[in-house]
Amino acid sequence: MSPGAWLLVAALSVVGGLAAAWRGPRAWLALTLLACGAALVPAVTTLAGGGTWEWRSAVLIGGEPVHLLLDGVSAFFLALLAVVGGAITIYARGYWPDAAHPRSAPAGRAWWNLLLLCLGLVLVVANGLHFLIAWEIFTVAAYFLITLERQKREVRAAGWLYLAASHLSMVCLFAFFALLAARTGGWDLGPMRGRTELAPLFWLALVGFGLKAGMFPLHVWLPSAHANAPSHVSAMLSGVTLKLGIYGLVRFSGWLPVPAAAGWVVAVLGVASAVLGVAFALGQHDLKRLLAYHSVENIGIILIGLGFGLIAAAQGNAAWGRLAFAGGLLHVWNHGLFKSLLFLGAGSVLHATGTREMSRLGGLWRAMPWTAGCFVLGAAAISGLPPLNGFVSEWLVFLGLFDAVGGPGLSAWAAGPAAILLGVTGALALACFVKVCGIVFLGTARTEAARRASECGPLMRGPMLGLAVACIAIGLAPVLFWPAVANAVAAWQPAWQMAAAPAPLAALGACHAALAFAATLGAILLWRRVRQNGVARAVTWDCGYAAPTPRMQYTAGSFAEIITGWFGWILRPQRSIDRPRGLFPAQASHAEHTPETVLEHVVEPVGGAVMQVAAAVRRLQHGRLQFYILYLVVGMAVLAVLVIAGGGR
Amino acid sequence: MRLALELVGRLALWLLLAPLLPGIINRVKAWVAGRRGPPVLQLYYDLGRLWRKGVVLSTAVSPGFVAGPAVAWVALAGAALLLPVGGMWPAEVFRGDAVLFVGLLALARYVTAGAALDPGSAFEGMGAAREVSYAVLAEAAIITALLALSLKSHSVALAEMLTPSAGAGAVLLAGGLFTVLLAENCRVPFDDPATHLELTMIHEVMVLDHSGPPLAAILHGAALKLLIFSVLLAEAVLPIGKLPPLAAAGTLGAAVLAVAVGAGLVESLLARLAFRRVPLLLTTGFLLCLFALLATWKGGGG
Repeated sequence: MSPGAWLLVAALSVVGGLAAAWRGPRAWLALTLLACGAALVPAVTTLAGGGTWEWRSAVLIGGEPVHLLLDGVSAFFLALLAVVGGAITIYARGYWPDAAHPRSAPAGRAWWNLLLLCLGLVLVVANGLHFLIAWEIFTVAAYFLITLERQKREVRAAGWLYLAASHLSMVCLFAFFALLAARTGGWDLGPMRGRTELAPLFWLALVGFGLKAGMFPLHVWLPSAHANAPSHVSAMLSGVTLKLGIYGLVRFSGWLPVPAAAGWVVAVLGVASAVLGVAFALGQHDLKRLLAYHSVENIGIILIGLGFGLIAAAQGNAAWGRLAFAGGLLHVWNHGLFKSLLFLGAGSVLHATGTREMSRLGGLWRAMPWTAGCFVLGAAAISGLPPLNGFVSEWLVFLGLFDAVGGPGLSAWAAGPAAILLGVTGALALACFVKVCGIVFLGTARTEAARRASECGPLMRGPMLGLAVACIAIGLAPVLFWPAVANAVAAWQPAWQMAAAPAPLAALGACHAALAFAATLGAILLWRRVRQNGVARAVTWDCGYAAPTPRMQYTAGSFAEIITGWFGWILRPQRSIDRPRGLFPAQASHAEHTPETVLEHVVEPVGGAVMQVAAAVRRLQHGRLQFYILYLVVGMAVLAVLVIAGGGR
Repeated sequence: MRLALELVGRLALWLLLAPLLPGIINRVKAWVAGRRGPPVLQLYYDLGRLWRKGVVLSTAVSPGFVAGPAVAWVALAGAALLLPVGGMWPAEVFRGDAVLFVGLLALARYVTAGAALDPGSAFEGMGAAREVSYAVLAEAAIITALLALSLKSHSVALAEMLTPSAGAGAVLLAGGLFTVLLAENCRVPFDDPATHLELTMIHEVMVLDHSGPPLAAILHGAALKLLIFSVLLAEAVLPIGKLPPLAAAGTLGAAVLAVAVGAGLVESLLARLAFRRVPLLLTTGFLLCLFALLATWKGGGG
């Protein structure tokens, strides 16, 4: 079958699933999975074989002919959507069942399919108007998914912030596509690299798509939306919909000419997102909010790759740019895989314990070994550790940056700091995920809820295992996935054909496989030796303390204290301290909370000022007819003066 | 077949020589203090004894508590195999193995700190927090040093990067890498391996609950890490790879010995820093590496 037929099957089955959302949850699951599978086929064939599939029809939608296009770039993101979307669909069936959520579960399924459909459409349509329509519908569908639990105040607030930010992004995209259409004379999209007068439009796209991607400082909507959405929705938002912002940036920086400064700005924003995203993550005590800030960090890593790719493209033929860009692109897949895995793991924890507060958890590995294992693996992957997938993409970016430092020109001066800060980001992410894994899954249970936790069902466990296997596969055999990346890069910049995988990638894969094998073997051998020598059990040694309690364990806040102290200038943590007083202090407490600095110190003051101006203007409207007539008379008089004065000239 | 033999030979060399280094440092410390001190081979005896001993495990720990030290040890051994020894290049030289080297050190840190949080002890939590926090600065310094070396040698493969000398910035790089060596291996002035006051330690406090064979793996891994950093420092600064094989091996041995004596002298003559000042000293190490990078740049890359 041709790609078009597969896409038609996918679209029909996702619409069928939409129809089955209310009546048959099983039919919904089957049809949605069929859709994901059917969408994966053309994506994989396009990525493996290269080439472009294009389909134009005379049918008009909104007055514009339908034009679909599947090339390397869109197939790359479509594959991510199909794999991650399929896995999360299965998880959603177990996580948000009708029995627990009789009202919101069917509605959630319907919005889910609408979201999947429109995400897919955004990726394959090649018409500005249709792109905007699909973009708006998926934004709204995501809003209704985020607010599935509308009865909670903080969920409504998060949803509102998401909707407001998304529509600010929408305004920029409207302007972008409208100006593009006005200058090219049509809504049809495609490569227009020669038309340099279109370059300034890139800034509109950067704001519009950057808002959606959660790039610092436009990420203000992201933490609360991801924290308060149901976990399967958070996984989808973070794993796939953020990447649509990246898709937009990649797509239109490839098709349209970009201003000379574009690469530099994207790279600087990428570095800022990476370092500050992880710094904010360290300050969080809410598990899902912490993961949300890590999305900002990883979007930053992707943007570093994209930014240096753009710089290299502007400089003509620079081999390092391809490596950095390929790394950024591969990180899109990798982040989609391990971040959705982590959000699903967080969802299982929330499902089992009813809380996202890390300080109320602890020792969950005992009750939830599968979740704990998958989460720890995902945490190692996101920290960029060998032999997992996160390291492969960061390695490619590093390789590009190292080569750029040795190269000529200004890019060498930018690549050095970027490489150092990328390393710092990795070390900070490692610190943060050691904290998360240690506080949530290790030690002993801090509350009764954590003690009574139990493992999630097979419908939730299976997708996590699948995503974990995908993380391992990309880590151990990166060469197998290289053609996909190479084809996507070639679709982005046709001059950058990369046929064979770079030789070091195969060597890296071999090292990873050897490392995984040796580590497994070493762990088994050490366990056997321990068993042979005999094991005695005792309480944890707490400096000779006889009766340790779970409350004496180290907390997430204390763990991160050193690093959050370094970033205090931007984190601005709010503390409330009740110091112990007197010889026999009865009570003492210390609470610390890291707010969203940009939101509280930039967006809210500006919003407040706008509201004040609006309130002042509203005084003109008071319902007194005499004054309205006075306004009319004054207005007429002013107009008359203007006309007479203007006419005299 | 030859590749496998060579690999095994190099690994055996690393593993067998590693426990010698802490012994030498202890001898230097004893000599300065006018004591007789433990024998140079003390760590070998300790490792043998621990390997045969039984294990006390906390009731709270997961299987990862034993797997952690094993994985950390494997990661460190892997990092050692990536380094050239004297004129002998590793079999698996490839572009970008320098980044893999940093990644392997990070993996060792991840599992060690993770295992430290496993028993749920506040002390070990404190140590793990310090370890991962200070490593942020240390990692920045190492990447900067690697950038300087890569710029000098026009390569991203460790063996090629470590062959020539560091050139203009050699002294700066030596200072920076030595600071990182002391910090990453928890030596004075960052940490005192001789103390047993939990509140003031980093590395030792992370392994409080370990015993028997896992503790042996941790101690051997720590010695291996010290040797890795010493070799990295020696080869980064001196043009060891350009010497004939025997001279190279001799120079490397002498340089590693000098590093160990230097660490011992620092340990004898300096007091441990207050924790608030640790980041400052590490930042100084990072800045030294940064200046070495700038010096290499100005020197035209060589």
